[in-house]
Amino acid sequence: MSVTSKRGFTPVFSSGIFYIIGETLKGLYRNRWMCLTSTGVVVVTLLMLGLFMLINMNVGHITETVKEQVEIVVYIDEYASQATVDDLKQRLQAHSGLREVRYVSSTEHMDRLQKQLGGMLEGYDSMEDNPLLASFELRTNVPEDVPSIALELETYPGVATVFYGQGYVEDLFAVTGVIQIVGLSLMVGLAITAVFLISHTIKLTVMMRKREITIMKYVGATNWFIRWPFLLEGLLMGFTGAALPLVALYFIYEYAIEWAAVNNLLFLTLLPLQVVIYEVAKYLVPLGTGLGILGSSFSMGRFLKV
Amino acid sequence: MLYLKRFFGSCCRVRTERLGCMVEAKNLSMKYGRGGQYALDDVSFFIDRGEFVFFVGSSGAGKSTLLKLIIRELRPTDGVLKVFGRNVGRLPRHRLPYLRRNIGMVFQDFRLMDERSAAENVAFAMMVTGASRREIRRRVPHVLGLVGLQDKAKSRICDLSGGEQQRVGVARAIANRPAMIVADEPTGNLDPGTSLDIMNLLRSINLRGTTVLVATHNREIVDLFKKRVIYLENGKVVRDEQKGIYTGV
Ligand SMILES: Nc1ncnc2c1ncn2[C@@H]1O[C@H](COP(=O)(O)OP(=O)(O)O)[C@@H](O)[C@H]1O
Ligand SMILES: [Mg+2]
Repeated sequence: MSVTSKRGFTPVFSSGIFYIIGETLKGLYRNRWMCLTSTGVVVVTLLMLGLFMLINMNVGHITETVKEQVEIVVYIDEYASQATVDDLKQRLQAHSGLREVRYVSSTEHMDRLQKQLGGMLEGYDSMEDNPLLASFELRTNVPEDVPSIALELETYPGVATVFYGQGYVEDLFAVTGVIQIVGLSLMVGLAITAVFLISHTIKLTVMMRKREITIMKYVGATNWFIRWPFLLEGLLMGFTGAALPLVALYFIYEYAIEWAAVNNLLFLTLLPLQVVIYEVAKYLVPLGTGLGILGSSFSMGRFLKV
Repeated sequence: MLYLKRFFGSCCRVRTERLGCMVEAKNLSMKYGRGGQYALDDVSFFIDRGEFVFFVGSSGAGKSTLLKLIIRELRPTDGVLKVFGRNVGRLPRHRLPYLRRNIGMVFQDFRLMDERSAAENVAFAMMVTGASRREIRRRVPHVLGLVGLQDKAKSRICDLSGGEQQRVGVARAIANRPAMIVADEPTGNLDPGTSLDIMNLLRSINLRGTTVLVATHNREIVDLFKKRVIYLENGKVVRDEQKGIYTGV
């Protein structure tokens, strides 16, 4: 005689591992709305975290690029005499805070622009027509000195304007810094909510299975055997909560790269997609599963006594 | 002696003279909470391998408390309680499942999974202890046959009568080949005829060598069976007789 149920499944409890997986899926299905809510909160939390990481990594990258490149650009007054320009060059070269001084003529500026715009400015190839200013491109010994040196250079004769990209980056940092503080506290709040919701969801499953758990304890199931379905339930919620934002971030970032390229935002030298997603995944997946496991471990403790 | 070997672990040699002693209580006391009365007060007894023992006494005498101590649902307040020669009061928590696998439990309220079939309930008890698919498939019909339910294997518990449900309870208790059966008022919810059937079933299991401990109110059956009777009153053992009867004198 075989032990099959009325509906004709093979024995439901034929083996521990199938039982554990079966119970996990059953628990998830029976509390599907709570599961979706919990997972949703994990998704939102980790999506935010992922976005912050993307922004952070790229701001860092842009800063590096800017540092690598020119730090200060001194535009030369178009009416300055050759003598004044020579003088200026000497003063800059003698400046103790600077380590590199390079003269860029207006023609060179035009060439660069032509290259950037893909030869759209066909008409402007003669010297007379060139509206661009010649400049000195400078690099400082210490990047932190950029603002003060730039201020000083503005007073030099023959100088039209002083431009330093670092300032923009600082502004960018200030803004992202504020966003990050607000975002981080929001994320911590969301993470706590996620753990709470997961543990609550699993508690519901535990309640539904209370009778079964008591019986399991009486017939000699180990605590681990009883725990597995709940642990897996939390783990699955957490893992899904990490995987979905990763997929979303992949497409968002892909779009951002395209957008930057289309709009010719040259300062936006974004990091490559694969590198960034891999880096984000390294944090999101363990964090998500961690939240899930934390949630499930909060829900079980007292039910395992007896 | 396979079950004992499993229980003690292969590293520990079992001394043969201890094998006979299934339960040994020495000055065992149990008090719930801090103040108040002792539910068990300085109780001592031995139960040998293969015995059939009734624990009797009025409600609140401490029968359930004693059985709960034996299955280590509770820890004694005082004294020593040895089960299979091992002090269960000091049994570390992770060893508890292995103690329970050697004790089959039968409850007054059956404690079965109502939505599952009889076979599933029995299989469940085996599955959680890590029994293999093949073992379960072979053993479940066998134990259901032993309790006379071979035809009801696929019936859901909620479709069975009280007596049949308790048979499933007994089948589950013996599924893992325990050394001892502990039954707390197993006939408390059953009519007299069915009660006798269940008790007879426990007796037949006892005849195959399993130690059986039964806490009961059922005077007729106790008097009929002429087994050992341990009479409790206010947490004390007031009588302990071989071939005893419910009422003294
Ligand atoms: N969980 C508990 N908390 C406090 N007191 C209890 C508890 N369980 C039983 N008792 C007390 O212990 C005594 C013995 O109870 P019990 O062992 O259930 O008796 P019996 O099973 O013989 O009817 C009673 O006085 C009862 O009130
Ligand atoms: Mg009782």
